[in-house]
Amino acid sequence: MTHLLISMRERVLSIVEGLLREGKDPSEILEACRKAAAAIGERFERGEYFLSELVFASEIFSGVMRVVLPVLKREVKPVGTIILGTVQGDIHDIGKNIFKAFAEAAGFRVIDLGVDVPPERFVEAVRDHNPDIVGMSGLLTISYESMKKTVDALKEAGLRDRVKIIVGGGRVDGHVKRYSGADEWADNAVLGVRKCREMLGLGG
Amino acid sequence: MVGAELKHPEELLKERFRRVERAAELGEPDRVPLIIFTCGDVLRKYATGYELYFNYGKAREASVKFATEYPADVFLAALAAEGFIFALAFSDYLDIAPSIRFWTGPMHDALGDKYTKWPGRELPEDTVFQFLGGQFMDVKEYSKLSDDPVAFINESIFPRACVNLEKAGSPKANAALIRLGFEASKYLKFLGESAADLARVGAPSLPLTFAYAPLDFIGDFLRYPTGALLDVRRHPDEVNRACEALVKPIIKVALSLKPAGAKYAFIPLHLNEYLSPKIYNEFYWPTLRKIIVDLYGQGIRSLVFFEGWHDPHLETILELPKGWGIAYFEKTDVRKAKRIIGGHTCIMGGISPSLLLEATPEKIKEHVKDLLGEMKPGVGLILSPGVADISKAVPPENLRALIEAVEEYGRY
Repeated sequence: MTHLLISMRERVLSIVEGLLREGKDPSEILEACRKAAAAIGERFERGEYFLSELVFASEIFSGVMRVVLPVLKREVKPVGTIILGTVQGDIHDIGKNIFKAFAEAAGFRVIDLGVDVPPERFVEAVRDHNPDIVGMSGLLTISYESMKKTVDALKEAGLRDRVKIIVGGGRVDGHVKRYSGADEWADNAVLGVRKCREMLGLGG
Repeated sequence: MVGAELKHPEELLKERFRRVERAAELGEPDRVPLIIFTCGDVLRKYATGYELYFNYGKAREASVKFATEYPADVFLAALAAEGFIFALAFSDYLDIAPSIRFWTGPMHDALGDKYTKWPGRELPEDTVFQFLGGQFMDVKEYSKLSDDPVAFINESIFPRACVNLEKAGSPKANAALIRLGFEASKYLKFLGESAADLARVGAPSLPLTFAYAPLDFIGDFLRYPTGALLDVRRHPDEVNRACEALVKPIIKVALSLKPAGAKYAFIPLHLNEYLSPKIYNEFYWPTLRKIIVDLYGQGIRSLVFFEGWHDPHLETILELPKGWGIAYFEKTDVRKAKRIIGGHTCIMGGISPSLLLEATPEKIKEHVKDLLGEMKPGVGLILSPGVADISKAVPPENLRALIEAVEEYGRY
């Protein structure tokens, strides 16, 4: 299954649909996704896979999730909940969507707030969903300010210590993490998921 | 810069431009040049995003203020969005093509294009314009694109990508094109006046023209980046044929500004950092290389912005003729780049915009000192923060520290 998930999207989807028709437990398919995401992540970090492979895999994962999640027979306990969004002023979402697909494949429940998300919506979502992690994405330099404003808003609302915060994006680094007051940073989806697992003490 | 205020602007202009030129030629200038580039974020210190893109007077004022307060060797303000598809669509009309190569706010109003979003329009007033691109071509249409890219874009893509061009030949579409022409003419006037403003304070403009990597053209304007990445795997031959077909009109557009004195072709890359070396070498690089080599043969050096992490492809740069142009890096470590392409290619970059935002002035100076200590021996180096802009929130003392550090540690 892991091997198949690295192959073509259509093939994977038809296999997944076939398995479901045969009565396969959807949670086993999710488990296969998790293994595949981990394998792809390893290859990416070894320099054998590149961003285009992550794009490709994320297309597959999001397709599989659309088919599998609605038919889950029993609640599969997520490894953690992430509130995710592209921060205020920035409307780019390619990176956010890749991260979302990999995080879901890794077993996280992801609540996606979309793009251009104002600080108060992050605050509201933290109140409503009590997540483990807040993930803020951004491509442009204007996003740095919004990330900081969002962390500040969470502090003001007294929620900062209830969550771990990760900032992500192609131009995000340790400087942005310190500037914004986040706990972690990532500049690709694989690193982002690894950092999320680490922040929750789940290992790399 | 130290001593700068003592010099006459004309003298400064020559000195600063010569510095950049020497570096591009792999010669040794008196000091490492510093180029600062912005799409508007840092200029929001002086005006809102909306004002910068919709009010040419405010844009001119903001540019001069910045160039006066933070004097670099070259200050490039691109207060307009990526519109290369229009230049290409008009590549048979070279009097028009260069004037609509970038889109300003009012040009966006005229066209109603779906590629870009603007402050005071689809976005809040004080942000930067954003290029999103989109998918306006079906995967089955690759052969039409390859057969005649210019006709296909005019006839099939524009009606889909621009609300006001939906029905070709309609009064609305005709009016949109006339309005675009009005705005292009205002924009050209603004560019000329802005360059003159900057010259008065001793800040030279680079004589630029523009080109594009064919696969990026497909990703940005026709199939969306993720669509182009999938097409490469599913329809490799069609993609390659289309890339080949785009080479000629792209070169035509780039050469259109040669009679006006253009010396450098700016080529911003996007998909480069997504691709494995195998895919890069098969689909992306061959046509881009052809464009760079052709332009160099015609007296135009390229200024290529290698977006993101270009490390896996560094060695391919050596396939270009020595001195072909300037390699502008973003996340690639310029030290590593120097080990591979130093002495062959002028290297630009080295300052991350996030460092300017978060570090102290002392740390920034230390960074420049260490970097130049390693980079300076040998020739062909330009310091610059990335094309990713400089945040409005960057403390003034940090920008000043960067400028002082280049003066202090950049002398040859």
